[in-house]
Amino acid sequence: MQISYEDRKDCKVMTGKMALPNHYFAGRLGSKFIIALRDENKILGVKCEKCDKVFVPPREYCERCMSKLDECWVELSNEGVITNYTVVNYNDKHLPRRAPYILALIKVDGADTPFPHIVEGIDAEDVKTGMKVKAVFAEETTNTIRDLDHFEPV
Amino acid sequence: MAEYFGTAVEDIFNTMEERFLSEGTLDVDVTIGYNISGEGGGNWKVTIKEGTLKVEDADGEVTDCTAVLNANAETFVGVTLGKLDAGEAFSSGNIKVDGDLTVLVAILPKAFKPFKPVIKASAIVESVEERFLPEKAEGVDIKIGYDLSGDGGGQWTVVVKDQTCTLKEVLDDDCTVIMRMEAQVFVDLNQGKLDGGTAFSSGQVKVDGDIGVAGQSASLFEKYVAEGAAEEEGEELISLKCVPSINQRYATGPTMGKWFDGLKEKKFFASKCPQCGRTLVPPREICAQCRVRCNEFVEVGPDATVTLIDVVYYASPDPLTGKIRETPYTALFMVLDGVSRDESFAHDLNPKDIDRIKPGMKVRPVWAEKRMGTYRDLLYFEIAD
Repeated sequence: MQISYEDRKDCKVMTGKMALPNHYFAGRLGSKFIIALRDENKILGVKCEKCDKVFVPPREYCERCMSKLDECWVELSNEGVITNYTVVNYNDKHLPRRAPYILALIKVDGADTPFPHIVEGIDAEDVKTGMKVKAVFAEETTNTIRDLDHFEPV
Repeated sequence: MAEYFGTAVEDIFNTMEERFLSEGTLDVDVTIGYNISGEGGGNWKVTIKEGTLKVEDADGEVTDCTAVLNANAETFVGVTLGKLDAGEAFSSGNIKVDGDLTVLVAILPKAFKPFKPVIKASAIVESVEERFLPEKAEGVDIKIGYDLSGDGGGQWTVVVKDQTCTLKEVLDDDCTVIMRMEAQVFVDLNQGKLDGGTAFSSGQVKVDGDIGVAGQSASLFEKYVAEGAAEEEGEELISLKCVPSINQRYATGPTMGKWFDGLKEKKFFASKCPQCGRTLVPPREICAQCRVRCNEFVEVGPDATVTLIDVVYYASPDPLTGKIRETPYTALFMVLDGVSRDESFAHDLNPKDIDRIKPGMKVRPVWAEKRMGTYRDLLYFEIAD
């Protein structure tokens, strides 16, 4: 039995599905962050007084000085700037939008860290870093970061 | 069954085992008797000893106890649920304790998690008229059927028309939508323990009729709040369960394609290195030791010799179905007949052979009836004797 490398008669493509049971716990800080988005349409962060840095989404410890930040809540603006972005050009059912859509890193006013989110209301060619955007909140809750539905240009 | 504050005396004793905190009672050795008078009452004997718990129906007589608690059923349930003040119940004589009172006060809070009333599906459905929000139902004309099986279940039709809501204890034939599920699933959905989408996609909820109505009907009603639940609400924490299904695409290439074609014909093909002569299972295009292309295939097996056995007790999900696997299961490493000694190959073992399997044993493949040219063509290996 010999086959040559060029012989493609045995080549085939198999398709299937993989089910991945997930149980995600948002944590105490993560829960409070999502609940504030959901119930009050507010973006919360935590502030390390020692380093003078505001982190969003909140985290329990300062990444620089390891101070505990779980009680150091600050309310941030619903507006911010795009610090970077990409255009998602493929479709998959787990993705939040049909392609193409803009996935940007947005630093809301008052925060020192950007976080990724969807930008709508502007064509992909027209997005620029430094652009001002504002948060648009979801009408129906999913108890996730998508309770903030997307950002749009101011 | 007599209920007080929506709870029967029995419920409290029946849930003791699941509420028991053994680590809090490692140095405890007491027996507590309960004489509960009135409808739904009775006698119980609860023994807590070095982290173990025994709850007995004392059948009329409570003897040999460290302490005995006497109360009427309503007081007992009320105090347990926190609806009645325990101190007041003692001072008014509604609760009397014979024997060592400090045993109760010191040990019980350490030994049990607080009792939470069991929420019944029927209680949720029966409150639907009170929870109806007429202002959300303008122009809505639907009949929602509930067919809930199991404990606390039943059949109901909720009629929403002309901004009024009526409940019927029967399942009408002309419902806009009928939702069928276990009563407990319904309770979990209403308690926010289970997400509607997940319950539906995992088949726990079956919907007959207009599925859009099923989704939107929730907005017509206020959320169900169990009696007393709101007062003890703690910090809200978010946890999400979901089972994403990821599309997979695997291109076999010519070599693995040959292997899968072989499985379809109940054959194993190994590739053979033209330089060192070793056989590779499953076949590979390149011999990684000689770094030459292997173009020759040889048929090997189908019997094999076991080299290593992994018995797995961890109930992991099967990635192909999302279902939790039966445990224990065995990953069997073996060398197919005619294959070089160090080229072992892994597959499942027939679960019935788990107790007998030993390294060095001969095993044979068991094939699926219908073979599609995938790994599933091989069900498992079993001991060949």
